[in-house]
Amino acid sequence: MIGKSARRQGRAFLTPTVILLLCFTIFPLLFTLALVFGEAKFDEGGLRIGLVGLRNWTRLVHDARFWNAFSVTIRIVVAAVTLEYLLGLGLALLLDRKIRGRGIFRILFLIPMMLTPIAVGYMWRMIFDVGRGPITGILQRLGLPAVGWLTETRLAIYSIIITDVWQWTPFMFLILFAGLQAIPRDYVEAAKVDGASAWQLFRRVTFPLLAPASIAAVLLRGMEGFKIVDTIYIMTGGGPGRSTESLTLFGYSIGFRAFDLAYGATIAFSLFLAVMVGAIVFVTLSRRFRYVRLE
Amino acid sequence: MRTRRGTVFVYFALLVWTLVVVAPLFWMVTTSFKEKIDVFLGPKFLPGVDFTPTSRWWTRIFTVERDTLLRPYANSLITAGTSSFLATVLGALAAYALTRFRFKFGPMKNEDILFWIVSQRIMPPIIVVFAIFLMFRVTRLLDTHAGLILVYIVFNLPLAVWIMSNFLSQIPPSVEEAAMVDGASPATTFFRVVVPMILPSLTATFLLCFVFAWNEFLFALILTYTRAQTMPLLIAAQHFQRGPQWWDISALSTLAVLPPIVITVALQKYFVKGLIPIGK
Repeated sequence: MIGKSARRQGRAFLTPTVILLLCFTIFPLLFTLALVFGEAKFDEGGLRIGLVGLRNWTRLVHDARFWNAFSVTIRIVVAAVTLEYLLGLGLALLLDRKIRGRGIFRILFLIPMMLTPIAVGYMWRMIFDVGRGPITGILQRLGLPAVGWLTETRLAIYSIIITDVWQWTPFMFLILFAGLQAIPRDYVEAAKVDGASAWQLFRRVTFPLLAPASIAAVLLRGMEGFKIVDTIYIMTGGGPGRSTESLTLFGYSIGFRAFDLAYGATIAFSLFLAVMVGAIVFVTLSRRFRYVRLE
Repeated sequence: MRTRRGTVFVYFALLVWTLVVVAPLFWMVTTSFKEKIDVFLGPKFLPGVDFTPTSRWWTRIFTVERDTLLRPYANSLITAGTSSFLATVLGALAAYALTRFRFKFGPMKNEDILFWIVSQRIMPPIIVVFAIFLMFRVTRLLDTHAGLILVYIVFNLPLAVWIMSNFLSQIPPSVEEAAMVDGASPATTFFRVVVPMILPSLTATFLLCFVFAWNEFLFALILTYTRAQTMPLLIAAQHFQRGPQWWDISALSTLAVLPPIVITVALQKYFVKGLIPIGK
């Protein structure tokens, strides 16, 4: 049916995309893979790369700053994604009915995830400000002491998590809401006819049927969450101390501030590995979870 | 009257979350209309009640400081606009090829190629940026529009291909087949027959890509310095250079979030229909 020249044109349609991706993601990935086993030096002859074997990796394993960044990133991802899922699910369930103003609520709830993270980070930096911020103002009017949201080592990470939850709950809401809309009404009606309570309906019907959307939402958000850098960069710069330094921020400051490209690449690669391992573990666990649910 | 109480609870919960969404934005926008003293003398909340709004900072941005402050916005517009346009076109072409022709590259069939393209999105930018930085250093693309545009095309391509292939797979190929039978080449068919049909989806994809490029920070931070500096970098730089000049930076941040808000409202129809179809 389709002629040879047509097929050639079809291939030509695909070619630019494939070439661009090869040049700007696959080649750079391989280059980074080479860097993690080497060292990069700038001198008069330009850039020189020499192989050093596993030295970067031994350094990484013994680097307390790496393990700190690793733990900060994991803590932010786990806490933020959990809260975002619960809130997003709650909002989706609330709007999954015929009520007035539904369209307006829906738009409003989506807006934060589309906003520039740097602007969002700055906005929350002002809000958390201990001297002039609105939270301090409200606390003072209630006769409570001011809290150094961004200046206390213990609290700063929570401020980052709150900001992330504000910005990304909409993403969970978006996917879970679409998932709810896709559930056939018959199932819900049938369960209601059988006299299921609201809680039973949710536990036995809605939630299991929502499982694919839930898994996709948590997986996509989780993988994005590992890359967190913009809001931290502007809110705390990784501080106080290094209490909010994420892996991307750590990799950036080693690679492009200290200009140790090889070690920076090693940190970046460990982030990539963490994302992959995290995704595989999550998908495996969620498969088992779904199997049990639908038994 | 269980349902009545239920409705009240639903509205109450919805209004609480509305407040959570709106209050921070309200704070940012009003701060851009505050005098310095209203910022420094503790928090003021309501314009006209506990402070008198001023448009001084906004005027300054558009007059005295126009050249320094608005140039990064122009850079953002140029890079985000151009890259999103090209990503949409290339993404639509690739999606069209993948939904209409059968490919086989070694063990990879159409679904595998699509998955390979889309999965590129997972890659953390910090991994690829080392090589791109060195490539750009050699080819003198650092701190240029062209360089950032290239990176943003690639950054948005997986998304564009994914969305467009979802849209295209919903279109029955009968119309195109008629054109093909009449002897039109795939290129002619695509641009004359398919593009007019999918123009709204193309626009939606373009706008979504635009927002992602407009918001992007890490690539811009590493690959640009001054000439091609984009808007998020300006905001960060203002913040670190000038300290707590909330009024200015609030105005700049408000200016940054306006396009995404407008685009979200424009795209609401697509969001609701499920721009991102999950587990079809």
